[in-house]
Amino acid sequence: MAGIAQKLASNQKQVAISEFFEKNKHFLGFDSLARSLITAVKEAVDNALDACEEARILPTIRIQITKLDSKKDIIKLVVEDNGPGIPQKSIEKVFGQLLFGSRFHAIRQSRGQQGIGITGVVMYCQLTTGRTTHVRSKIATEPTAAFVDIGLDTRKNKATKSNAGREIWYNEDGTGKEHGTEVTAQMKAKYQKGRQSVWQYLRMTSIVNPHAEIIFIDPEGEKHHWTRVTERLPTKVESIKPHPHGIELGQLQRMVAESKDLNLNHFLLNNFSGVTNRARKELCQAAELEGTRKIKSVKGDDIRALLEAFQGERLFNASPVKLLKPPTNCLSPIEELLIKKGLSKTIDSRFVTTLTRVPNVTQGNPFQVEVGLIFGGGMPGDKPVEILRFANRVPLMYQQGGCLLTKAIESVDWRQYGLDQAGGKGVPKGPAAILVHLASTNVQFTSEAKEALADNAEVMEEARKAMLEMGRGLRKHLEKKKKMAKTKEKFELINDILPAIAEKSAQILKRPVPELSGSITKIMSAVISESSTEWNKETKQIDVEIVLFNYTTRVRAYTLLATWPEKSGAVMENNDTGGRKEALGVWAWKLESLQPGGKTTISFSLSGLERGDWTETEVLFRGSQDVIGATKMDEKFLEEIRRQEQILTESGIASPEDEAEQDKTITEPTEQKTEVVEEKVEPAVAPPDGQRTLFGGDV
Amino acid sequence: MSRMRTPEETKEAMHEVVAEMYDRIVKGEPPTMTLPVRTKNNIGFDKKLGVYKYGKKQSIRDATSLGSAKQLLRALHVVEFIEEMLDAGKSSTLREMYYIAEAWGMGKFGSQNDSNNLAEDLEIVTKCLREDFKLRPEEDGARMIGNLTLRERNRRGEWMRINARDDVGDSGYGVPYNVELEKIELLEHDIDFIMAIETGGMFDRLIENGFDEDYRCGLLHLKGQPARSTRRIMKRMSEEWDLPVVVFLDGDPWSFRIFASIAYGAIKTAHISEYLATPSATYLGITADDILAYDLPSDDLSKKDIEALNAELTDPRFADSWWQEQINMMLELGKKAEQQSLAKYGLDFVTETYLPEKLAELGLA
Repeated sequence: MAGIAQKLASNQKQVAISEFFEKNKHFLGFDSLARSLITAVKEAVDNALDACEEARILPTIRIQITKLDSKKDIIKLVVEDNGPGIPQKSIEKVFGQLLFGSRFHAIRQSRGQQGIGITGVVMYCQLTTGRTTHVRSKIATEPTAAFVDIGLDTRKNKATKSNAGREIWYNEDGTGKEHGTEVTAQMKAKYQKGRQSVWQYLRMTSIVNPHAEIIFIDPEGEKHHWTRVTERLPTKVESIKPHPHGIELGQLQRMVAESKDLNLNHFLLNNFSGVTNRARKELCQAAELEGTRKIKSVKGDDIRALLEAFQGERLFNASPVKLLKPPTNCLSPIEELLIKKGLSKTIDSRFVTTLTRVPNVTQGNPFQVEVGLIFGGGMPGDKPVEILRFANRVPLMYQQGGCLLTKAIESVDWRQYGLDQAGGKGVPKGPAAILVHLASTNVQFTSEAKEALADNAEVMEEARKAMLEMGRGLRKHLEKKKKMAKTKEKFELINDILPAIAEKSAQILKRPVPELSGSITKIMSAVISESSTEWNKETKQIDVEIVLFNYTTRVRAYTLLATWPEKSGAVMENNDTGGRKEALGVWAWKLESLQPGGKTTISFSLSGLERGDWTETEVLFRGSQDVIGATKMDEKFLEEIRRQEQILTESGIASPEDEAEQDKTITEPTEQKTEVVEEKVEPAVAPPDGQRTLFGGDV
Repeated sequence: MSRMRTPEETKEAMHEVVAEMYDRIVKGEPPTMTLPVRTKNNIGFDKKLGVYKYGKKQSIRDATSLGSAKQLLRALHVVEFIEEMLDAGKSSTLREMYYIAEAWGMGKFGSQNDSNNLAEDLEIVTKCLREDFKLRPEEDGARMIGNLTLRERNRRGEWMRINARDDVGDSGYGVPYNVELEKIELLEHDIDFIMAIETGGMFDRLIENGFDEDYRCGLLHLKGQPARSTRRIMKRMSEEWDLPVVVFLDGDPWSFRIFASIAYGAIKTAHISEYLATPSATYLGITADDILAYDLPSDDLSKKDIEALNAELTDPRFADSWWQEQINMMLELGKKAEQQSLAKYGLDFVTETYLPEKLAELGLA
């Protein structure tokens, strides 16, 4: 399915812009006054984030919305960033030309797969208020900022510019701004609060862009500030060539037509990912085409044959041609720790679990699913959980019910994990928010409105698996919380209530206060572990303390184990009790003789982490008598850790050049392909001239 | 049991409870408080007294869980508080104690109900009355109208003679919380029976219609589940004046319970049933068959009503065949009716037809 972009590009000239806008405003995100404002903010913020990411700048974005005329719903929007800025001669192109820039052509994960970009906002402003959009931008190498008013000539479908000039750009504090861009637009729009609002959009954006600082001043003058929680920019993504499994006829025709390759062999090797020299030969044979054929002579049925070979419909040696998986370095997941930080800063809660699945491939497109769950805190317990959906770091705010990501959440029986859910189906209820992020080079939406993800079995399966794993984490947390509450009660009993009973009864009877140790042992009759994991502001470390009490009448011996974030690069310090490494992220201490009524304290600090990175230490034990507050060590759990550790070290060595190795490993998904995939074939390139809208539909 | 105790006797009884806790700690055991099980499974008919009393089942509240331990600590605070009142010659309401307990830190109550229950617990284990503890209930007693005369000692310690027909307004004589001999003496009467009535509306209807004079009776407004003093004064009038007591309630499962607490003793206060219950009291109506016989406007039984009726079927106090029949009949009908539903036939129907017919069955009219 070709995006709006291609269709727009090919048909641009036929339709007047105002007509185009009127006909397609629901696709473009301008169908209601409230949504228009969100779309405008979204386009500007996306541009800012993309520009900063490309220039490796930590973004600071300031958004201000002012009501100019409440009766006529005229709103002023100002979005300012600290991005690299736009050279003067390019401003006009960026803001006044449809589809400027390269992001529509490269195959990689990018934000700008939605809408028609900032130009759409300029158009909308022009059409609803007749006003031009004021742009000011400064690049670091020039001393002054360029400014210009951009409008659109609706008859000529061309950008107009006026009042261009240069000035010194001062910050609020009087210092000179180094670089950045500021857009000031006036439009007919409505500011709303709630689930579908500018506020919610920015909040969600801040969750998945933890490296960004976002400041929003709403029409009432209230300042909302989402701070930057990491200095780490998203990994720079590589663009990749299309994979034969993900190609459609129209696209292949276009590629052939535009090819400057000498012959078919070169064409196959130069323009696709996953095609090795062996695969190249086999594809040619399967398609019954000579590899040495001049590319100019490849036409019509030849292209169709090639596509069939790509898709495994034409066979080589009675089986589909085996292709390498596309590389996955074109994806930029947010990653577990950063999702955790993003969620924690916007929602106050005690428990957050996040999970980034390993990349997978569907129809030749690499994708990766990430999920996060935040539980408890001030969230209401009797309402459906909040669902936060994202595609390539862009918040999806509409059509929640029809979205694949929502369906993945609904397909899980959350009751077993401690959330309410009528009949084990649908959106669960409880004090929680669930985040799902799909990173992909080709996000498939249900419609051009691009608000809900289309069904896809592989993506669904990945998302479901991630949910289940996260659910298990939640259940564990809740069980632990229950246990801890019980233990806490027991301690309150022996530390506070029992001494008070002894004292008060002695006082009433006028007798001496009795000794308590006998009663305490009888009341507890258990070995109890208490642990705390606290951020130490002064040392910038996380202090962990584990105390083991023996409230039994006998001497006890245990091996105590604790989990710690070794994988995340934490360093264990001040571990005076010694012990040894049991496995990756598991430390063990042998406690030989714990006297009746006695206690042992283990403490250590973790450095190399930030606040909130590690909030819960799991305490495990080996030994015959149960320990309240700790989990008996399941040796299978250790095995699993060791296995993961092995995979991790192995994957570190593996190199992408090692073709022969990888060739063997990808046979399976290739075979599945032929059965499952049935792609719609689109008409070749652009339709001939005629009365068509920019989207190819009849007028 | 109805005898008041001296402050010293009360203290001594309370110290026994405290000593149980103390001695257990000294022995190296969790402290405990032993008290009878307070459910319908542990009440039995006392033939000698003619009322239901707690049986032999004991529950031991020990400090192995936080909840129980807190209860023990609260009990100690209450004991201390009562001792202070006894020494100072003061008294307080249960509600006041609840608020005073706000200052008891870990020993403070979770709810007013908690503190009421604990006061009852202490009564039970010490065999004292809350009057001995100088604790007054918040709930006000009943209203009474009829040609009966009593003497009440007022705040200044003077005895006042009151006739509950001639010396009172339309709202009748208000029964105080303490109706023991040192506060109230029953002097004389010219009535044939006492009628206890559940709702204020019906009580006022009978007064307006002059029922007390026409039928020579004393009318008593129960105000729903009757307070201790209401039950106590009924008991005294029935015994000291040898008067029959008839009870006129709504026709629903909750009214059956009210009657049981009047006639047989309430489960919560079974330790003092012989002091509060009036075994000779008779249930006048509304009965389940009244609903049919008088074709009364009725409501469907709710789920809770049905649960309550089923619970009553296994309650030893409703074990006799008349009650079993009434309860089963109500379950079969699936209906309940209010006293006021008699107004279907006019305002005078209750005094001119219904009550005369029901009383005639009992030989009282």
